[in-house]
Amino acid sequence: MSRLRRIAVKAVTSVVVIVAAASVTFFAQLAVPGDRANTLMNLQTGQDKKWSVDELAPLNERFGFDDPVIVQYLDYVTGLFHGDLGTSYTQKRPVTEVIGGQLLPSLTLTGAALLVAWALALGITLLTVKRGRFLTSLGTTWEALTASLPHYWVGVVLLVVFAVQLRVFPIIGGTSALGTVLPVLTLAIPLAGFLGQVTRDEFEQVLQQPFVTTARTRGMSDLGVRVQHVLRHAILPAITLSGWALGALVSGAVIAENIFGRPGIGQVLVTAVNTRDLPTVSGIVLVVAAIYVVANLLVDLAYAIVDPRLRAA
Amino acid sequence: MSTLTVTRAVHLPKVGTVLSLLVVAFVVAAALVPGLLVDGSPTAIDLKSTLEAPSWAHPFGTDDAGRDLFTRVVHGARESLGIGLGATALAFVIAIGLGFTAALAGRVVDAAITRVLEVAFAFPALLLALLVIAVRGPSLATSIAAVGIGSAPGYARMIRGQVLAVRQAGFIEAAAALGHGWFTVIRRHLFPNAMRPLVAVATLGVGQSIVWASALSFLGLGVAPPSSEWGALLDAGRLHITTSWWLEILPGVVIVLVAISVTSLGRTLQNRLGGAAR
Amino acid sequence: MKARTAAVLAAAVLATASLSACGSDPAAGGGTPKAGGTIVYGHVQEPPCIFGGWIQQAYISRQVLDGLVTLAEDGTVKPWLATKWAVSPDGLKYTFTLKDGVKFTDGTPVDAEAVAWNFDYWENKGGNSTAKVSIDPYYKAAKAIDASTVEIEFNTPFPPFLTLATQGYFGIQSPTAFKSRTEKENCEKPIGSGGFTVKEWKHGEEVVLAKNPGYTSWPATAKHEGPAIVDEVRWKFVADGVSRYASLSTGESHVVYEVPTVNWKDAQSRYQTIRYITPGKPVSFYINTRTGPFTDAAVRKAFAYGADRKSAVEAGFHGVIPYEGNPAVSQATPGYNAEVAKAYAYDPAKANQLLDEAGWTQRNADKVRTKDGKPLTIKLVYGSGFIFTQEGATVLQVLQEQWKQIGFDIKLIPATQAELWGGKYTDPSTFDATPSYWTSPAPSILWIVWRPSTTEKPNGSNRSFYNNETLSAVIQQANSEPDATKANDLYGQAQKIIQDDAAGIGLYTQNSTYAVAQNLKNVWLEKSQGEPVFSDAYFTG
Repeated sequence: MSRLRRIAVKAVTSVVVIVAAASVTFFAQLAVPGDRANTLMNLQTGQDKKWSVDELAPLNERFGFDDPVIVQYLDYVTGLFHGDLGTSYTQKRPVTEVIGGQLLPSLTLTGAALLVAWALALGITLLTVKRGRFLTSLGTTWEALTASLPHYWVGVVLLVVFAVQLRVFPIIGGTSALGTVLPVLTLAIPLAGFLGQVTRDEFEQVLQQPFVTTARTRGMSDLGVRVQHVLRHAILPAITLSGWALGALVSGAVIAENIFGRPGIGQVLVTAVNTRDLPTVSGIVLVVAAIYVVANLLVDLAYAIVDPRLRAA
Repeated sequence: MSTLTVTRAVHLPKVGTVLSLLVVAFVVAAALVPGLLVDGSPTAIDLKSTLEAPSWAHPFGTDDAGRDLFTRVVHGARESLGIGLGATALAFVIAIGLGFTAALAGRVVDAAITRVLEVAFAFPALLLALLVIAVRGPSLATSIAAVGIGSAPGYARMIRGQVLAVRQAGFIEAAAALGHGWFTVIRRHLFPNAMRPLVAVATLGVGQSIVWASALSFLGLGVAPPSSEWGALLDAGRLHITTSWWLEILPGVVIVLVAISVTSLGRTLQNRLGGAAR
Repeated sequence: MKARTAAVLAAAVLATASLSACGSDPAAGGGTPKAGGTIVYGHVQEPPCIFGGWIQQAYISRQVLDGLVTLAEDGTVKPWLATKWAVSPDGLKYTFTLKDGVKFTDGTPVDAEAVAWNFDYWENKGGNSTAKVSIDPYYKAAKAIDASTVEIEFNTPFPPFLTLATQGYFGIQSPTAFKSRTEKENCEKPIGSGGFTVKEWKHGEEVVLAKNPGYTSWPATAKHEGPAIVDEVRWKFVADGVSRYASLSTGESHVVYEVPTVNWKDAQSRYQTIRYITPGKPVSFYINTRTGPFTDAAVRKAFAYGADRKSAVEAGFHGVIPYEGNPAVSQATPGYNAEVAKAYAYDPAKANQLLDEAGWTQRNADKVRTKDGKPLTIKLVYGSGFIFTQEGATVLQVLQEQWKQIGFDIKLIPATQAELWGGKYTDPSTFDATPSYWTSPAPSILWIVWRPSTTEKPNGSNRSFYNNETLSAVIQQANSEPDATKANDLYGQAQKIIQDDAAGIGLYTQNSTYAVAQNLKNVWLEKSQGEPVFSDAYFTG
């Protein structure tokens, strides 16, 4: 009962959170110096000049730039509740459509990267933690090394080695399965190192716990202990970390998409910020925020299931 | 509770620690007194010796303006390390404030801050950075602010979680029962216990911040030229990777080396701290 | 059936190949032509709409929309949708006769009404601000005389009009389609009469162009007669230079734009390469003559003398992109004054002398010159990542180092698109020098850039804030001079005035470079703006 109520409350406040996220973006973008109509005119002409009031009048009229800020804001928020994220200033089509087409490739990329990162991290940790000095230091060195790799350096190097030199993967693979491999690895390798470092700590602690010793004395195999007891206990911070990792991944996706010329929300975002396409920027933040909020609810649920201690809280 | 106990195991062999110390010492020296390590100016051009491969005279080779890459890397240490330390410090200041307030100031405040953090967390750090840069224009200070603000929400959530977890442990109540004031409890028990596991996160954060700053440079939004901030070097070397590999690979190796060293030292430190606390 | 198509095709290609036999064009014909196939083209920037007033839009709209006239290699204007034209004796009326039977791809005719509607749309309805500014304020009206005759009227004679109308911005669209469809459809799939139609736009990835099988309106400069030989062009957006160039070697693309200059030599040895020097304003510095140290012409001249711009350009662009000493127009522009370009060759002694004479005699601790205690600091704002690539940024850094030697403290300020285009640096107090370019096939670009800015008629494009009545008079005289030689002479004088007063400082020519796979022939660049033309291209067996 209480858990359901908690989640219901959370779901309701989530709507507030999402609108707040969009609002913050809306006002942050307004704080950018310069005139939106002027930017649009320059964007349409490739110039960097200041246009006259007359020349800008049609654009101001069309997008309501002359309206008081509060009117623009209310229009925007009202639109949100009708599922209308506005019209892109530059692409002249609904923002829902601009984002819609780009969301899936980005989600595929980040989702796959998160899975691959966990597989790599857990695999290496399980195999090397408390397995003698050599294997352990091999594992930790690998983690320290990969965690320190800059995303885009990994991307550029992977691209040059595997696509340009060895020609194993396409260079401009778009959203094809083969073309997705290198972008996923670009995001997953550094993340796996980072996750590995954290899960290793958890594993080591758990392996020292009395119940592990008990399990061993009961005759459980080393692998059995590792998988059944240790993994289960290490999963708690792992869930929290996954939430964090998603944020890092979306940021990393901007870079991976840029290097590999892959369509996605990251590319759209950078362009939109650069061209001050306010409805698109707000729309993307809104959608990403919504995804996170849902992910957060799931994390809460998962937490309550995995760790009974937190249920009451 | 199990998340509190800090591991005593030393991961890296002593050799690793010594090497890490050497690397960090070198970089700190480069940041403070670059003149000790290299002679020339990082911006000195020599159009007669452009794009030369690494040699005795130019250990890291030269770039397309004939500038010595090693000199540039050494002089870039100040900005890169500065961004790494500055951004992490900024992030932790913000995160500690928010995290502790959320965990300790009661249910309503906690709910509010948690929601705000969710909003902030919902912004991918890079978008937050992009917005900061769009408003302020690219510069060293903007890079620090952008990376710092961008990574703060994540830390704040971790800190809040840690503080809550520490609070759950009985000894805080015990300390309170013994008549210690709240501030004392926070300072002597809550803070050290909640923060200790985050030492690793913080040191990793320095490495991550250097990496993030280089990402901004990669998007053309970093420190203004002719700065030789390491990310800017990577960005400049990108076009050359198939023709003059050293311009892209060597600065990358430096970033990775420094990040590993900082991290491993942080972990060693963490282990020592953990041991001392017992 | 198929064999016959190929035979006809071969004949057509051969016929035109002999016409263009001068053959310096490296991507010219040869080999056994094969019908069909898909060209994958690696471009850099993705435009917001297919057509518009930005060169990035002209590149792609050229594939879909036909113009009235086109520019030949020798700089003469040739027929396209218009088969012939006449200019009234007073120079005020241009009467175009349209090609018979041409249809837009929506089936409606390309008639005089349609052409007149397009002019009205560009000039009066905000349809294309670059088309507008190109012929502003000379343009008066366009009207259909009969179905195949259209008349464009001007306020004052404006001979550069024909040349300017060859730009991609003047692509003719179907008014019927435009008026009956949504804004989005018009943005993504404009309807023209061109060799290709937009089949699909996968945003963030590519635009798929499909052959227009009913194409009848190829320009007089085309290398074959008939519809496009290939079936499709996949116009991909590949921002990363390394990927773009490497995709050629793996066969993932057949043509790439903007070959990284470090790879240019390699490209020349492995592929067909085309380099196009853009006419119009080169990449040159606007010098703020209204506020700051550059109000003193001597300081501007010292700035020009003070750095080895030629060597810097050669280093930054690896000898591929030519230096341009003429700040007003590039060497590819008609009426280019080559003498003017020679001024201000690197002379640090002269620069020092000028600065000493101008009173910048003291030096501070950083060896920066000072006058009345104020340092000689120059704010150099440049568009980072979109006007200036990494290569261009290297050039600026080399210059910065050289200017430092003679006592200038140059602050390089990279500006983002949002900042530069949003107007952060429009005010004279925000910068001292800013480099940029403006492509145009005619020297009348001088009027756009250097027209004096007055309160009644501000000129935001005059980024040097340089109001010179003599210059203004000379350019206006040139713009209305019917005799080309005399006009060019006047344009030359205008360039000299700008250079003599150092109101701008030259840097390098804006280039378009292309590399084309060996098995793809007849890819060529139209002369006006360097847009690639794919409707004549064919694969060899």
